[in-house]
Amino acid sequence: MIIETREFTRVEGNGKAEIVIEENEVKDVRVKIVEGPRFFELLTLGRDFWDVPDLEARICAICYLSHSVASVLAIERALGVEVPEKTELLRELGLIGELIESHSLHLYLLVAPDLFGYPDAIRLATKHGELVKEGIALKAFGNRIRDLIGGREIHGINVKPGGFGRWPGWEELEAIEREAKALLTVAKRAVRLFSGIGEYGGKAELFVATDGYLTGDSLISNVERNFHYFERIEERPLVYSFAKQSLYSGKPFLVGSLARLLLKAESLTPTAKRLFEENRERLEAGWVSYNNLAQAIELVYALERAGEIAKTLLDKGFEPENVPVEAGDGEGIGYVEAPRGVLVHHYRIAGGKIEYSNIITPTAFNHAMMEGALLWEARNLYGNAPEDELLRRLEETVRAFDPCISCSVHFVRG
Amino acid sequence: MKLGVFELTDCGGCALNFLFLYERLFDVLEFYEIEEFHMATSLEGKHFDVGLVTGTVSSHRDLEVLREARNRSDYLIALGTCATHGCLQASVELPLKEKLKAVYGDEGNPMRALDPKPVVEYVTVDLAIPGCPYDKNELFQALIDIAKGIEPVRPDYPVCLECKLNEYECVLVKKGLPCLGPITLGGCNAACPRSGLGCIGCRGPLPGEVNPAGEFEVLKGLGYDEEYIMRKFKTFARWGP
Repeated sequence: MIIETREFTRVEGNGKAEIVIEENEVKDVRVKIVEGPRFFELLTLGRDFWDVPDLEARICAICYLSHSVASVLAIERALGVEVPEKTELLRELGLIGELIESHSLHLYLLVAPDLFGYPDAIRLATKHGELVKEGIALKAFGNRIRDLIGGREIHGINVKPGGFGRWPGWEELEAIEREAKALLTVAKRAVRLFSGIGEYGGKAELFVATDGYLTGDSLISNVERNFHYFERIEERPLVYSFAKQSLYSGKPFLVGSLARLLLKAESLTPTAKRLFEENRERLEAGWVSYNNLAQAIELVYALERAGEIAKTLLDKGFEPENVPVEAGDGEGIGYVEAPRGVLVHHYRIAGGKIEYSNIITPTAFNHAMMEGALLWEARNLYGNAPEDELLRRLEETVRAFDPCISCSVHFVRG
Repeated sequence: MKLGVFELTDCGGCALNFLFLYERLFDVLEFYEIEEFHMATSLEGKHFDVGLVTGTVSSHRDLEVLREARNRSDYLIALGTCATHGCLQASVELPLKEKLKAVYGDEGNPMRALDPKPVVEYVTVDLAIPGCPYDKNELFQALIDIAKGIEPVRPDYPVCLECKLNEYECVLVKKGLPCLGPITLGGCNAACPRSGLGCIGCRGPLPGEVNPAGEFEVLKGLGYDEEYIMRKFKTFARWGP
């Protein structure tokens, strides 16, 4: 017998799951990504490198800037371009804005209704209007940063190889420093709210992240440091999904907020670090549901870090200046932490044109782990709870991964 | 009035952009009840006064969702360039079989994929709002107009005009950048020239009197090769000079 869920709601993109039952036991769970294929790598082949980041941004709206930055980093590495610290800091600021926009969307509008037993944030707002408004204020702030650095709230084209189309001005950075400080209280409340979340989705044992907090030169995990994705991680196509599945040394693994906190807590800002320490024991247990709490702690980190970056640039002063980029040959990988986990863009460029391109998104990295988490929940609840409760819990488990299904459906064969 | 939002295959941005109305979302909710919108609610509706549909038809699943959305909506809006013109994912010019093989590695099609096409090629829509993403103010105004019984106004000017109104420096003339502003439908408030970069044409061609052949010659005159220009023209809306 197979129980099929409806298409997941309050997640980005189209997907569902089926639970395979044999002899009254849960044998298997399959996560079926039904979102159609998107062919992004094929689209970039033969293109001029300069135009590619703008196209790659369109892979995903929630994390378009992560795609732009990963694409730009891969191009710069391939063409031997180094940018100054001010450019790196502004890119980081953009990624921080994206983290705020994405995490607040997920926590307040997609997950919070579950905590209070509502079908959505609009109905939740009838009783908890302040909470929803706080989430919207955070999301709007994250988007203001994306607009400033990326050029638009969604799919901006301002992040370019070598620098920016338009550089932010002093007053704009001052406003960010001020608003980040003002919103910190809200984010701290989010940590209190989400520290009440239950334990579900099973325990993850393997975690992968980039070596820097939001960008990196290579990957790290809880069993080894500094490796490239192609050395350890294998992707395989599935007959029941438009997204491929990745295994790390043959095993499922977790990327995202929880993995980042567990692997890189020493990089956190002071308040975020304190909140991590307070919750360390629970987070270290590895429950998938605690990814929600980890995201709330990262909201605090992001607001503190946004203020720090703005202040550093304002104190030091900077002149808008782009590094010239010449068309040439080379190969490069851009590693970025998208809000929901490790994102890889890998290109080979010949004469300024893209010759090979490979992209692996966080949801693809998490795909196998997601099936593992659903299997754990299904085994736990099947026969012990009514079917509608089982299905609701499976949906909540999927939601804890904050999947970005649109991103996950466009891989090219490596 | 009852509102439904339906997502086919896309980046999620057109559904998300609706939520980015922030406080004005509550103004929309003065007129509309959101009955179905899987990114935002777990509810499912039956019949809709207005349906918004985003994305391309890229699988049989998408086609079924689209037909349901059309049948159950009195007024259907194709929202965003995927739905109106096909956008990036429809611009890869290879037979479907070859595309699937390049991505998934075998010649089968177990998930019943279709060659990505815009919504408007399968059903009649009452309004098409392009943009990658569309301008959220345009959607806001359209929804309010429909609620009041007024037919929404469609922009009929190029991006170039908005650029001039904002007094941005002309990136085509002054910097020689490949800018599609003169032949692209306006409504984005010249988002790309605002960043000092050329318009990438994400809102598709300006209908009516427009001169893509002239644009083609201008870009050729600036030293861009024909293949490069053609790809630029075709990226979002598969148009030719």
